[in-house]
Amino acid sequence: MLEIIASPISFFILLSLFFVGAIGSLFFYKNNNQANAWSSFFVISGSLVGLVFSIVNILTKNSLLFGLKTSFFSFFTISFHIDLLSSFFVFVISLLALFCSIYGIGYVRHYYKKYNIGVLGFFYNLFIGSLILVVTSSNGILFLIFWEIMSISSYFLVVYDNHDDDNVKAGLLYLVMTYIGTSFIILAFLLLYKYIGSFDFLVIKDNIALIPASIKNIVFVSAFIGFGLKAGIIPLHIWLPVAHPAAPSHVSALMSGIMIKSGIYMMIRLFLDILQPVPFWWGLMVLVVGSISALLGVLYALTEHDIKRLLAYHSIENIGIILLGLGSALTFYSLNLPALALLGLIAALFHTLNHAIFKALLFLSAGSVINEVHTRNMEEYGGLIKYMPQTALFFLIGSVAISALPPFNGFFSEWLTYQALFQGIAQMSFVTQWIFILATGSLVFTGGLALACFVKAFGVTFLARPRSKKVTCAKESALSMRLGMGGLALLTLLFGVFSGYIISIINTVSQSLGIFKNSSSAINISSSQSMSVSNGFSSISGPLIFVLFVVTIFLVVFIFKKIINRKQKECTTNTWDCGTNFTPRAEITATGFSRSIILIFKGLLKPTIQHNIEYYDDQNRYLPKSRTVTLNIGNVYHTYLYQPLHIVINKLSVKAKTIQNGNIDLYISYILVALMLALLVIL
Amino acid sequence: MLKFFAKIFKTPKNIISFSKNDLNQMDFFEIGEKIQDKVKKLFRGSLAIRQIDAGSDNACEQELIALSNSFYDVERFGIHFVASPRHADMLLVTGPVTRNMAKAVKDAYDGTPNPKIVVAIGDDAIDGGIFKNSYAVLNGVDSVVPVDYQILGDPPTPTIILYSLLKILETVEDKTLQKK
Repeated sequence: MLEIIASPISFFILLSLFFVGAIGSLFFYKNNNQANAWSSFFVISGSLVGLVFSIVNILTKNSLLFGLKTSFFSFFTISFHIDLLSSFFVFVISLLALFCSIYGIGYVRHYYKKYNIGVLGFFYNLFIGSLILVVTSSNGILFLIFWEIMSISSYFLVVYDNHDDDNVKAGLLYLVMTYIGTSFIILAFLLLYKYIGSFDFLVIKDNIALIPASIKNIVFVSAFIGFGLKAGIIPLHIWLPVAHPAAPSHVSALMSGIMIKSGIYMMIRLFLDILQPVPFWWGLMVLVVGSISALLGVLYALTEHDIKRLLAYHSIENIGIILLGLGSALTFYSLNLPALALLGLIAALFHTLNHAIFKALLFLSAGSVINEVHTRNMEEYGGLIKYMPQTALFFLIGSVAISALPPFNGFFSEWLTYQALFQGIAQMSFVTQWIFILATGSLVFTGGLALACFVKAFGVTFLARPRSKKVTCAKESALSMRLGMGGLALLTLLFGVFSGYIISIINTVSQSLGIFKNSSSAINISSSQSMSVSNGFSSISGPLIFVLFVVTIFLVVFIFKKIINRKQKECTTNTWDCGTNFTPRAEITATGFSRSIILIFKGLLKPTIQHNIEYYDDQNRYLPKSRTVTLNIGNVYHTYLYQPLHIVINKLSVKAKTIQNGNIDLYISYILVALMLALLVIL
Repeated sequence: MLKFFAKIFKTPKNIISFSKNDLNQMDFFEIGEKIQDKVKKLFRGSLAIRQIDAGSDNACEQELIALSNSFYDVERFGIHFVASPRHADMLLVTGPVTRNMAKAVKDAYDGTPNPKIVVAIGDDAIDGGIFKNSYAVLNGVDSVVPVDYQILGDPPTPTIILYSLLKILETVEDKTLQKK
């Protein structure tokens, strides 16, 4: 039985489910309900098959290699290689796709009669199918094809809500940026092909010694730019906070949870698997970029009051944290410390899994809120906990997890990342040590600011009183949406409490990489699920923390209720309002909350504050009619990076135009010159 | 709502009465010392009072303000006038309660944490005084909130007010002793 599940057959069943789901929902495009049911059924069953397939593969340490033997071109073979790393990513994709699709059943209802559900189902199935293909394909060209299908299908999902012009613009920016990224990836693959003569990853890996060091560095830089663009590293992130909010919420959850991780997957695959051994500075560069992305990502998130953009910026932050783990793994391995490198990689993979779960949870609950209130602006929320109590609980769980507070899963992966960085500080020479110290510092800062940001997001959205009338019409979201969110919320807790077990599985996944074959990890996991790093440098236990957490809460409640307050009666009355009428204007706004932090980081964020006062009488400026304060954040990347680039490219294009002036005689002479040159070269 | 009216009806409106002789025998400082003792015992050293002007003619306010000036200076005896009913042990209501202030008085009463003492000061606050039966007033604080004690006078002098407070505290102490 297990052998059948872990065989290529079930992989093709999985793919065909997505394919049938995609094509079938197009056939049902006239009936919204049928299209929704069809596409959801196939996505859910596909992801269930994917879950079983990947879990069995991981647990039996099974690695699959299959493909079509014959092909038309020598360089293009349809071949798949599903090792444990691929299985791990298939697992994460299927897990998220499962819950997002359950959520989607209820969520897409509000698109009925406005948009075509069949088209949504088509691209949604295609998107998830291509995600799975991206992480399993083993040929450069094949990979690029799936990579493009993934990008294009996600582009169509971004512009799905096309009545809003902003979404169409966001889609365009996403498309342009994604092609820039792809061109860098193609450059990297072509360079590899030039020296090895094959696009097959396994062949490249075996013959990697043929590539000179300088070419390898170029491959690294262009792959890092290309995949980093997809992952959303700063300063290549500009598409991410624009495109993610534009998509339907369950798609944003998948894009933020998984699609950007496909970049991380390829980085791990290339840098830790294929291109080994790597020079020392690669790891440091990944570390530096990771710490910058983490810190700036969370800072920009703080300035946002569009809830989905805020979450999108947090994805940038978390990609930064993952890169910190990956960067330390690279650095350690190039210094021949495989045990510690394994620690860094485990931290990166575990955070990939955890971030996928809690970011999807947050996006889904934000989607429920947007679905009810019909705006993404947090300043118009408030008091939603009374109208949507369960959604509020799910958002709270997600916020606690992303702020890395125990006992939820985010804490454990960040803890591992810290351990990797601490090991770096302890073992490295002076200069490298300081890079590790700065990276640790940025991680500390990031954690604190993320907490502040989610205090803001949760407080402004769910607490206090409604800030607009729309909120008072909000209702609790549909059952399927609550199921999707509830499942993810439960997973954040379980993956935290049983982090020891999950880490031991990730450990086997990481050890399956060629370079870690004979090395044991620096993490020891005892039978009681507690982990300790490098022989007692530090240790932690998920269940223990959970028990402590529950006992502490119980004790505090007990002590307050039964001992300290035993003589006091509780009474609930209105807030003392000093005789005025309370309006939502008295509440702190999202902008107001983050203002102090923005002013601290004035140098980085370049805020502009504009005061506008409108008077009743322009001549007589004593009675102001209305006052507005506009707080804006300068777009540094636009003014200093993208605009100058744009100008340079424009100028070059104008120069190039002189060659192509429309004169047919000139063109004929070009052909003649080209012919002569070709002849000269051949002769 | 009915409960509240019943409470207003049931609450005994003790009018603080005393003879001129009692007052003449003690000077202000002596009263103050005694009050300080009671405040220490009953309120752990500080009695917080919130004063509400329910449409008063400001005569009573003048006297109450005089209580905290440098001559009388009741703060040395542990009596404070506070800015919010949330911090208060005692509400001092002055004025005949105009229609506009009725809700404010009620809100302030609700806003004061239990247990609370409500004192109506001045003849206006007891039954409307010289404004009695005007269309604009509700004839006394007890038509709006339950009143525990009433202090006579139009307006009472600061000494009388302090002496009455002493009497009130004595009654309160007696009641608490009885309960025990």
